[in-house]
Amino acid sequence: MTEPMLSTDVQRPETTVPPVTSQADARIRVNGLVKRYGTLEVFRGIDFEVGAREIVTIVGPSGCGKTTLLRCLNGLIAADEGEIWSNGTRVTEPIAGMAMVFQHFGLFPWKTVYDNVSYGLRMAGVPAAEIARRVPHFVNLVGLKGFEQAYPYQMSGGMQQRCGLARALAVEPNVLLMDEPFAAVDAQTREILQFELMRIWEERPTAMVFVTHSIEEAVLMGDRVFVLKGRPSSIKETITIDLPHPRTRETLREARFAELREQVWSTLMSEAREAEFKLET
Amino acid sequence: MTDASLTVAATRPAKAPAAKFLSGAFVPRLIAGVTILALWEGVVRAFAPAYVAKPSGIVMAIPKVIVDPAFLNASFVTLSAVAQGLAIALVFGTMIGLLIGRSVVADRTLRHYVNGFYAVPMVVVLPLFSLWFGYSGATRLATIVFSSLFSIIVNVADGARAVPREYVEVSRSFRAGRISTLLEVVLPASMPYFLAGLRLAAGRALIGAVVAEFFTAIGGLGYFILYNSRTFHHNEAFVGVLLLAGFGVGFDMLVNGSIRRFMPWYRRDEAAS
Ligand SMILES: Nc1ncnc2c1ncn2[C@@H]1O[C@H](COP(=O)(O)OP(=O)(O)OP(=O)(O)O)[C@@H](O)[C@H]1O
Ligand SMILES: [Mg+2]
Repeated sequence: MTEPMLSTDVQRPETTVPPVTSQADARIRVNGLVKRYGTLEVFRGIDFEVGAREIVTIVGPSGCGKTTLLRCLNGLIAADEGEIWSNGTRVTEPIAGMAMVFQHFGLFPWKTVYDNVSYGLRMAGVPAAEIARRVPHFVNLVGLKGFEQAYPYQMSGGMQQRCGLARALAVEPNVLLMDEPFAAVDAQTREILQFELMRIWEERPTAMVFVTHSIEEAVLMGDRVFVLKGRPSSIKETITIDLPHPRTRETLREARFAELREQVWSTLMSEAREAEFKLET
Repeated sequence: MTDASLTVAATRPAKAPAAKFLSGAFVPRLIAGVTILALWEGVVRAFAPAYVAKPSGIVMAIPKVIVDPAFLNASFVTLSAVAQGLAIALVFGTMIGLLIGRSVVADRTLRHYVNGFYAVPMVVVLPLFSLWFGYSGATRLATIVFSSLFSIIVNVADGARAVPREYVEVSRSFRAGRISTLLEVVLPASMPYFLAGLRLAAGRALIGAVVAEFFTAIGGLGYFILYNSRTFHHNEAFVGVLLLAGFGVGFDMLVNGSIRRFMPWYRRDEAAS
């Protein structure tokens, strides 16, 4: 990838941060990744980098391997070929500094909000006093103040994902992996959560890989959008989203937003249309 | 959702007891019970010798038996042995079950032995136990542990195998250690299986204790029942039987109470509806 990583950085509030030029500041580097399940090759030839303050969104049809890619990045499963580097380590198992937000929340039903949020901290061996200080901060940050003692079954889907988000943020990762985090909540809640996530991110930017089904969401959240397609799938297209930060509700109304959405849409659909043509002729 | 609605949700299962009494299964249950007792009483009075137990005889025997030091002592000895044995089986059964459920190596190594022992009737190991441990409380304890251990292992192992992959991935993603994952994630996630195993184990533990006492004639509730039956005190023997049944019911209530108290997230009533 030769293009500058963060072409939009100059338009951000923190203009003192020099634009990321490449390698040096990449938080994740993926080289020639291939994953197979038996005879099924899920993806091949995946190469990309994610800057330290960059959000990469990945869109692709269902079953193209988005979750599989994230699980590889997190070190939960091993790729068959290629390598993943993050924070100067080769990722072969989950590493410190990375946290995942799961599609179906992944909250432990037997733990309260407080205990779910503190889970990662306890596993990281953070001292109890520090946990007691940090957890309320992150519970407040995601708007769950007052629900510390609630169990997941007492909360709506949106609240549960807020909790999942707080759990991931609490370990203060420099890489956030998001697997369709808002896919399981209703449209309104989804919109609220998108902007809240952006607000939280603007306050403390990290590298983020954000998987989604929604083209709109991909354009709204991403600095770059990867279109994952094919069988086996690969990154067919990278679309740089040159919309200014912070992204807010205003962003949705910009003409450029509609243009980019259209561009991602046509990239995503081109193959489907070709397939249709083949059927007709 | 507001704080108020949260509290409502948390305390919702509480129902007015009186309403539950009248509307529920209480009345038919009472009628069934009375009918069975009346039939029993009638048949025994009409056809059986005087020493055969009948409800009226048992009721008359209760005040006498429950102040009898021999009975009290026997009950205490047996029930505390059952509690001890269950506790041992619970700890080791859970550990071994978690291991078998989550480790392929442990599963391959131990599976056949566990299933084999699970199928062995405790009666056939009693002669061996009495040789090893003598005609003492140790034999009874060993029998209780043997009878209850494997049902816990088998159930916990099944539960540990059935833990949703996502929970385990979350714990791995947050770099949890193996032991912590087993105790904090796998065990609570297998709670339904664990409780099923525990209930099964409690019943089997009681049987184990009584059979051990029958077989080795060591003092206890089982022996009390055996002795009284042999000396034609059937009504007295039946009080012992009732106490055993009461222990079974009491244990179940204890388990359900603990679930409500300590595991508010584990709501069987909600899951069913
Ligand atoms: N553990 C597994 N064993 C075998 N095949 C798997 C496994 N996990 C996923 N697959 C297959 O790999 C492919 C990619 O799955 P994956 O879950 O990564 O897709 P996805 O892009 O996340 O889909 P969705 O958008 O529906 O979440 C699918 O064809 C799936 O059937
Ligand atoms: Mg997926």
